[in-house]
Amino acid sequence: MAAEKKTILVVDDEPDVRTFLSTLFEDSGYATVRAQDGNEALSRVKEKAPDLVTLDITMPNKSGVKFYREMKESAEWRKVPIIIVTGVSGEFKTFISTRKQVPPPEGYLPKPIDRNEILKLVKKLA
Amino acid sequence: MDLPYHRYFEEMPCYVTVQDRGFRVVDANRRFREDFGKPEGRFCYQVYKRRPERCEICPVDQTFQDGQCHRNEEQVRTLDGREVSVMVYTSPIHDDTGAITSVLEISADITEVKRLQRQLTESQARYRLLFEEVPCYISIQDPELRIVDANRSFKENFGDFLGCKCYEIYKHRDGECVNCAVRQTFKDGRIHHNEEVVTSIKGEQLNTLIFTAPIRRADGQIQYVMEMSTNITPIRELQSQLESIGLLISSVSHNIKGLLTGLDGGMYLVNTGLQKNNQQRITQGWEMVQRNIERIRGTVMNILYYAKKREPSWEAVAAPALVEEVCGLIEPKARGYGVALRRDIDGGAGEFEADAKAMRALLINLVENSVDACRVDTKKPSHAVTVGLKGLPDQMVFEIADDGIGMDRRTREKAFTLFFSSKGSEGTGLGLFIANGIAQAHHGRIGIESELEKGTRFVVTIPRSRKGTDEGGKSEP
Repeated sequence: MAAEKKTILVVDDEPDVRTFLSTLFEDSGYATVRAQDGNEALSRVKEKAPDLVTLDITMPNKSGVKFYREMKESAEWRKVPIIIVTGVSGEFKTFISTRKQVPPPEGYLPKPIDRNEILKLVKKLA
Repeated sequence: MDLPYHRYFEEMPCYVTVQDRGFRVVDANRRFREDFGKPEGRFCYQVYKRRPERCEICPVDQTFQDGQCHRNEEQVRTLDGREVSVMVYTSPIHDDTGAITSVLEISADITEVKRLQRQLTESQARYRLLFEEVPCYISIQDPELRIVDANRSFKENFGDFLGCKCYEIYKHRDGECVNCAVRQTFKDGRIHHNEEVVTSIKGEQLNTLIFTAPIRRADGQIQYVMEMSTNITPIRELQSQLESIGLLISSVSHNIKGLLTGLDGGMYLVNTGLQKNNQQRITQGWEMVQRNIERIRGTVMNILYYAKKREPSWEAVAAPALVEEVCGLIEPKARGYGVALRRDIDGGAGEFEADAKAMRALLINLVENSVDACRVDTKKPSHAVTVGLKGLPDQMVFEIADDGIGMDRRTREKAFTLFFSSKGSEGTGLGLFIANGIAQAHHGRIGIESELEKGTRFVVTIPRSRKGTDEGGKSEP
C-alpha cells in the first residue's frame, strides 16, 4: 500500500491563487485542502491537521495574521510548518519574525510565486 | 546803536530785520540785504514774498498785538529766485515808556533741515510701502501677543483686527499656542521659526512657515516682536501629492503581484493541461489568464484616471445600453464566483449627458466591488448583485445592490478614501475613490447604504444635463 499523501492547506482569499497552488502541489504528489480566509482555515485544521500550510497574510479582516497567531499559540498545531506567501514587501518578514509573542514562520515566499522555490521549500518542511 | 552790537547785528548768520507797525522794514542786517536787497521803505511781505498785501498769519503782527515772542515757519524767495525755508522768530522792542515801537524778526534758514525732513518722510513711506506690499503676512506683536501693526497681506487674509491677540486671529483659539515662536523671541531675543496651520477669514486652512524677530527700543529692551509668515500651502499640497503617488505605486505593485500570481497560475494550468491532454484543465487555466488580464486592465484604467485629472468628454449617452454593457462585462466573473447578476433596467430611461468611458469605469468599479463583497461572504449559501437603472426627469439613478459581507461604519465612512481597501491583497484602494471622483465630475453623487453581514447598496445620482449644474460642467474628477 502506498504511503498516505501529505496534506497541504492552501489559504488565500484569491481563488486563482488557491487553484494554482493546489494544482501545483497535487501535480507534485500532495493532497490539498483549500480555505479562503483565516476563519475557514481554522475550521479545516480542526477537522484534520495538515502537514503544512501556505498562508496569504493580507486577507480581509486581518484573518491571516489571526490564524497564524492561533496556530503558533496552540500546543497541538504549533509544529505544523507555515509558509507565508504574500505580495507585501520583505519588511513584513522582519516584522513577523521579530514578534516576541509568536515564533517566526518556517518559510516566507513573496508573490509572484517561484514554482521551483515553493516546491523545494514544501519538500523540505512537510 | 553801540558799534560792537551793531557789528554783531550785521554779522548774525540769519536774516535780521526790525519792522514798524506798518510792517515796513526799518533796519536789516548784511545777510538780509545780500539776499533780498535794500529794504528801506519797503514792506516785509513785498521783500520776503513779493506779495501785494500782508500775510494772513503774521508773527510780527502777533507780537505787536500781545507783546509776546512768536514763531512761524515760512517759505521766502531771494532776489535771485531761490526758495528758502525759514523759521521766523519775533520779539518786541520797547521804548522807555514800555510801549512797543517795533518788532525784531530773526529768520533762520532751515532749508537743509527741511530737505532732510522730507527725505526722512519719503524713506519712512518707502519702508511702509515695502512692509505693506511684501508678499507674506507680517504682524507686529506686543508682549501680550496683541497685534499692534500688520501689513496689507495680513489684513486682507486675516482681517483688520489690530489690538486683538495673535492666536485669536490666526487660529481662532482662546489661549496662547504651545511653543509660540513670538513668545520664545520675547524670552531670548533670537530669531525663531515654526510651521503652523492657520485659518483665514474665508475659513481656508493655510500651511505657513513663520519667522519671528525682535524689535528693540534704544535701550536694547525688546518692545515688540515681528512675525513674518509665508504661505507654503502649495508646497505642502505638492508634498502630499508626491506621498500619494508613493502610496499609489506601493499599492499598485502589491496588487499587480497578486494578479501576476493569478496569471502564472493560469499559464501553469494551460501548460500542464496541454502536456496531460486535459481539456478541462486547459479551459480552467485559460479562464484564469483572461480574468487576470481583465483585472490588470481595470487596474491600469484606474491608475490612468487617478494620474490624470481630466475634464469629462461630454456626449449624449444611452443609459440602458451603458448598464447592459457593464453587466455583460462583469457577468462571466460573477458567474465564476457563483454570484447571480440581476438587472432591473428601466428601458425607457433614455439618454444623459456624460463621459461614457468614465461612467463605464464608475459602474464597473461599483459592480465589481459588489461581486467581491459576495465572493468573500462565507455565511450565505448563494448571492446576487442587482444592477438597477431609473430615469427621472432631471437625473439618472443607478443602483447596485448586493447581499455580500456588508460594511461596518468605519468601512462605510472611509469607503471613498484614497488607498483605503478592505479587500486584503486584492484591493488597490483606488476603485471607489475614482468612482466617487467621476460622479463628482458629473455633478452627481454616490450614496452608500450598508449593514454588516446584510449587504450594500450604492445609489449613483447623475444629472441628465450638465446645464442645470452650478459650474456648467467645469469641475474635474
